Amino acid sequence: MKRFLIPGLLVIGLGAGLGWQLLPAPLPQAWTPQEAALIQSLSLSQLPALSPDPSNAVADNESAAKLGQLLYFDSRMSGNGEVACATCHQPERYFTDGLPLAAGTALGPRHTPSLVGLSHSPWFYWDGRKDSQWAQALAPIEAGHEHNLDRLQVIRLIAKDRDYSERYTALFGELPSLPATPQAASPLGNAEASASWQRLSLAQQSGINRAFANLGKSLAAYQRKLLPGPSRFDEYADQVSSESGISGNGMLSREEIAGLKLFIGDGQCISCHNGPLFTNFEFHNTGVLAVAGQLPPMGRYDGIRLARKDEFNCLSYYSDAQPEECIELRFAKDDNELVGAQKTPSLRNITETAPYMHGGQIADLTAVMQHYNDAPTSMLSHNEAKPLGLRPVQLSQLVAFMQTLTAPLNVDPGWLVAPSQ
Amino acid sequence: MTFRNTAAAVPLAILFMLPVSQLWAQEANYSIQTSKGSTLDVFSQLNPVVINRIHSWELALTGPDESPVTGAEIFVTGGMPDHDHGLPTLPIMTRETSPGRYLLEGVRFHMPGRWQLTVTINSHQGDEIGLLDFEL
Repeated sequence: MKRFLIPGLLVIGLGAGLGWQLLPAPLPQAWTPQEAALIQSLSLSQLPALSPDPSNAVADNESAAKLGQLLYFDSRMSGNGEVACATCHQPERYFTDGLPLAAGTALGPRHTPSLVGLSHSPWFYWDGRKDSQWAQALAPIEAGHEHNLDRLQVIRLIAKDRDYSERYTALFGELPSLPATPQAASPLGNAEASASWQRLSLAQQSGINRAFANLGKSLAAYQRKLLPGPSRFDEYADQVSSESGISGNGMLSREEIAGLKLFIGDGQCISCHNGPLFTNFEFHNTGVLAVAGQLPPMGRYDGIRLARKDEFNCLSYYSDAQPEECIELRFAKDDNELVGAQKTPSLRNITETAPYMHGGQIADLTAVMQHYNDAPTSMLSHNEAKPLGLRPVQLSQLVAFMQTLTAPLNVDPGWLVAPSQ
Repeated sequence: MTFRNTAAAVPLAILFMLPVSQLWAQEANYSIQTSKGSTLDVFSQLNPVVINRIHSWELALTGPDESPVTGAEIFVTGGMPDHDHGLPTLPIMTRETSPGRYLLEGVRFHMPGRWQLTVTINSHQGDEIGLLDFEL
């Protein structure tokens, strides 16, 4: 008898250990009133109407959105004639590209973020270096690794294309008169383009900048159309109350409901991924490793400084806003807490937008959950997240919950393809 | 003529007073006592206060003798003690809208949970501080 005691105890111990790791805890019968309120707050039905953008007079103009759509899919908007906005922000991939790092005319330093629902954000880029969607839309056109074009060549393209110039004139008035030479010029370009820009008169520079800004405003009007559609989660959330049973209308499995419970509870995901878009659009340092071969980025600490001196920000000459309307820029903070902080992405359609993080450093959602469970020390400044101590089965439940957030977009299909002129 | 002018002026006057009177009629969202026994009432222009929306607060400062404290400078800092981080914005008191009432612009909260704000006041009463603790 004695000789079976030790092996027996070992088997029982091993079984208990494995069970603790892998067996799910029972679910309660109902949500508490606090849990029910948190779940309801995540439903897409709670998403407020898109706020107006006072810095963009054509933000909600249909003709501007149409011009923006034409520009969005036009690969002539690049130095090599092969790159359009849609090259990286692909409609069929929820406006991402499936790559760790964006590949325009060259490989870039950041992962392509989804554009879906992004017009609800007050800040753009992972580090929030732009304070409007129209100012953001201009930067990739002139970035060497993205479109690699310059603003003068862009305006020349619009002026030469009859359809573009007619649409532009109808919206914004006459295009600026362009000098015969140089062909290319931009204050942000290479040495030659930059020198050419300096040779232009201030009036010429201002006219080109104004027209360039107007194209950005049209691209923003188009992107404001890209909104998420209701998913299985929303159907579940809209009928949740503390009186109804936890299984609700049967839209979610027990595993997915367990994941939701962790999401709003012990997983602490809702701290940052909150509201109907599952993001607070704020900046957090969560200890993600720097991209291989790159220094750890300063994140929002640098981003807010860049936004303040941006030639196209809300307070700039090219903005349509009154200074007092630039509330986000005027009251933005810039302290050390923002070192290494990147913008919280939306979790809507997250299963379809791998890989993850600002540099695409994490390949899949299981690894993302493991990252937050471990909460490693940040390479720069401090990781705001703390280790969670969740069991493997709980991490799987969180991944299962992510599956409930995917749905077709709430966009007229005509906006999702290259338009015929 | 005088009667007609008066008749026209009354609805106009009501119209102009409406936003102010609505805020006055609103109950304070939060109310605290400062280190010198003053009362600071917070009237949020976003009512109820919810996360992720930038908005303004009106701060009504009353001294221990219950008279409005005018000409004060008010600074608001704070954050979430459980998350080891501060406010997502830098709210600033931009002006005194009426005697003892101050406009605090650029207020936003970006997480549900417990928030703790420190209000520092500099006025003819000297320096005083108040602590505002609330859940969102």
